[in-house]
Amino acid sequence: MTITAPQFDESQPTVLVIDDSPDVHRLLKARLRHEELDLRAATSGRAGIEAARDQRPAIVLLDLDMPDMDGFEVLRNLKNDPTTVHIPVIVLSGLQSAQDKVTAFDLGAVDYITKPFNLTELRVRVRSALRMHRLVQMLAQRAQIDGLTGLWNRAHFDRRLADEVAGCQRHDRALSLAMIDVDDFKSINDTYGHPAGDAVLQGMARVIQKECRQEDVACRYGGEEFALIMPDTTPAQGMVVCERVRSSLASVVWPRHPERSVTVSIGLAGAVRIRTAQPFDWVEAADKALYTAKKTGRNRSVMTDIDGGSRLAKAG
Amino acid sequence: MEPAKSPRPIISEFAGDPEMSELVRLFLGELPQRVRALEAAWREQQVQTVARMAHQLRGSSAGYGFPTIGSAAASLEESLRARTEADAQAVLERAAAEFRALVDLCSRACRPAA
Repeated sequence: MTITAPQFDESQPTVLVIDDSPDVHRLLKARLRHEELDLRAATSGRAGIEAARDQRPAIVLLDLDMPDMDGFEVLRNLKNDPTTVHIPVIVLSGLQSAQDKVTAFDLGAVDYITKPFNLTELRVRVRSALRMHRLVQMLAQRAQIDGLTGLWNRAHFDRRLADEVAGCQRHDRALSLAMIDVDDFKSINDTYGHPAGDAVLQGMARVIQKECRQEDVACRYGGEEFALIMPDTTPAQGMVVCERVRSSLASVVWPRHPERSVTVSIGLAGAVRIRTAQPFDWVEAADKALYTAKKTGRNRSVMTDIDGGSRLAKAG
Repeated sequence: MEPAKSPRPIISEFAGDPEMSELVRLFLGELPQRVRALEAAWREQQVQTVARMAHQLRGSSAGYGFPTIGSAAASLEESLRARTEADAQAVLERAAAEFRALVDLCSRACRPAA
């Protein structure tokens, strides 16, 4: 599973400075030299907005008083763009007026530093903004991770599936979605107790993570059901991954019940060219294939081509 | 306003800060050229240009440890920006004094004697 938070554990966060004065860039570079920051410079509002979009800095230091496009306008732009809205902005200005500070905060700035810079103040404010940024990112990420298995949770699945269906359709790419359900999970719980059931779910998560590829999105859908989104993957290629999961699972020895192996049934919905644009239809199609896998004896994968009729292919 | 009779040198507040000494040297190296550009713009009565240059000096000079230059530049910038049709003449007279004060301060900025 890949965590897609680019700045999350970077030791050298990128800090973008937007200021028309070369002196300010020079001074900040000297003043923040020992802070382990990757300092980038933009000398106009427009260049700054572009750089923020391209480089996704951890924070932006923004001068208010610039010719052409002033800092307020830049701030408005950054906060109106979904790709830059979450980047914390510290406003830099020589202006002392309280109204400017209020306006900057109203527009979404997180802090305010007045020029000329007080060395200590500048450093602690930058550090504090970076710390806050890391915490917010961590929380945002935690909120999308399933506590028991460490996989993405249902909320993340819903969002990612919608994104991937739309993205793969737009770029004319294949897509596969697998719903993976533990066979007879209730009887494992009933026979060996809930801690053993939890261990099975955790073990399942490890197997799925190990057998899927870097770009695949492994999620806990709910209960004993897992979902695997496979972008840029034809149904046939998706089946290969599913079968890897099944065979890898067969070789797992469970410490709490070595005498009993665990199997899964898998329903896969996929398309080489996507016409079905509703994420809900994808889940339904994969569920239907999963149901067929269960009904025809469990411990198998069943594939359906979501845009090629209801032809089902089986493996296992 | 007469230039100071015995010009006292102004030394950067960061003269003892090793992190800043290279930058202060750069700033002082560029300062005469900035002053010449400022004087040229003033002679040609390019009020906007003078105001912009004063603005930049205001922002940077304090950062290099010359707050007196910074506040002189700030007064000049504010006078020029506050100018209206009605009081243009009075403002320009006041600005002229502020301009000379700024140029004077700049000419006194120097490195500490070794």
